[in-house]
Amino acid sequence: MAFEPKRPQKKLNYQELRLYTDEQLKNYTEEEVKNFKPKHDIPKLEQLEDGPWPSFVADAKRYALRRHKLGQENLLINEDVVDDLLGQLELSYVHGETHWKHGGIVGVIGYGGGVIGRYSDVPEQFPGVAHFHTMRVNQVPSKFYDTNFLRGLCDLWEYRGSGLLNMHGSTGDIILLGTFTEQLEPIFQELTQVLDVDLGGSGSNLRTPECCVGKARCEYALYDTQEMCYEMVMHYQDELHRPAFPYKFKFKFDGCPNGCVASIARADMSFIGTWKDDIRINQDAVQAYINGEFPPGGGSHKGRDWGKFDIYAEVIDRCPTGCMSMEDGKLVIDNANCTRCMHCINTMPRALKPGVETGVSILFGAKAPILEGAQMSVMVIPFMKAEPPYDNIKEIIDRTFEWWMEEGKNRERLGETIQRVGLQRFCEIIGVPPAPQMVKEPRTNPYIFWKEEDVPGGFKRDIDDYRSRHAR
Amino acid sequence: MEDIKKAIVEFLESGKTKTKFYFKDIEKAVKDKVPNARTLQIKKACSALINEGVLIYYSTGSTTMYGLKGKGITEDH
Repeated sequence: MAFEPKRPQKKLNYQELRLYTDEQLKNYTEEEVKNFKPKHDIPKLEQLEDGPWPSFVADAKRYALRRHKLGQENLLINEDVVDDLLGQLELSYVHGETHWKHGGIVGVIGYGGGVIGRYSDVPEQFPGVAHFHTMRVNQVPSKFYDTNFLRGLCDLWEYRGSGLLNMHGSTGDIILLGTFTEQLEPIFQELTQVLDVDLGGSGSNLRTPECCVGKARCEYALYDTQEMCYEMVMHYQDELHRPAFPYKFKFKFDGCPNGCVASIARADMSFIGTWKDDIRINQDAVQAYINGEFPPGGGSHKGRDWGKFDIYAEVIDRCPTGCMSMEDGKLVIDNANCTRCMHCINTMPRALKPGVETGVSILFGAKAPILEGAQMSVMVIPFMKAEPPYDNIKEIIDRTFEWWMEEGKNRERLGETIQRVGLQRFCEIIGVPPAPQMVKEPRTNPYIFWKEEDVPGGFKRDIDDYRSRHAR
Repeated sequence: MEDIKKAIVEFLESGKTKTKFYFKDIEKAVKDKVPNARTLQIKKACSALINEGVLIYYSTGSTTMYGLKGKGITEDH
């Protein structure tokens, strides 16, 4: 289905947007880079350039030189910003502690997210980074950009910011690193009115939704991740920009269980493409793999001689639920026991394809904190259709938001709230009956709390009688 | 809506040392004063007060709080 934008799309032309000439953009030689000394001595940081890998220090020094060559007259914030950034980092290495202060009253009018305040606690020493606010820009789904946009964005950020950016942050946004408070509103104006993009989420907001490349390039995509991501971004604008959640909340959209955006490990609500019917098997192609006519894994491991393809060693015995077998030379799959691990499909893509009745599994409660281990999300809805206008999915999202806003404590992620009150309660709230797919290890621990009304005929339990034999 | 906005401002003015509050704290205080207020209405009232310049957002980057403009830290620091 052709993409249907919800508002007119702007055609950008870099020649109309550009702020610098080609000569200004290519303003130094490699010889000058070799001889360049930044404003502060940074011996500890320079050790990071010794290894075999590219170093951010080398890149930052190169960029510091470029800013000096551009000159303060062509820049709206201090031309020494990169020098001072390196200088302050060196000082942090010496002191073994950070010199950044986080947070504050910075933002753009009406928005509660998208700008993260950061200040130096040694501004006299490093005035170029006295303010070093981060701005998050909502990336387009799957990060397909037009070079006119990217070049325009880089010019804008060079002119009004530090010129340093991340493509992309872990939420997927374009992260513009470092500018002063007075530049925030003009940058916002340029981003929205000229470059036609919005700020992303930060704080107690819905964070910028992210999706995999989806049907744009991937044969495995089981629903249109870009369409759904775009729809949710547009539908939940208020949640993206006006923070009222107990803490951050993330959606991520994976087109298939390969999970290229790792929604299962990072998103409070993970949407993972799946299928309801049977895996499609082309038995001739299975034989072709066995006979060595097709390289397994699409040839992804062909750099070494791994020996003849062995369907038992490489596929059947690796099936996590043991649901595959060969019978009379034919591959057989017990589809009811398939957990959608994708290994067989990835290994023999010409022989096996997902079923044709496709949709999403919805999982809840992942988080990937820095100080603790990641918490994976839990399967709650094994299958749901994922087709525009996604009203069925929006209904689940709305119920989740409503409940979490009520039940969640300050700074508590959805997964922590679910753990605190119990998955069973959460399932009742969103109206989903318990299913084996929700149990972490259903084959070894099928335990579930049944309520009297859930069991035909019910049951009676005398708690006083129980306590007479079991101390609390 | 006006009674909710009034309750929000009164709550934020009542803080003796604390000047920035989580939305949940505001929500609880408002529901105590205006029992039939719904969460979404309180959020809308907060957004309206932000747009009117009465409230400000205070963000650490990971969480967001609300404060009265002019009370506590309200400028660059």
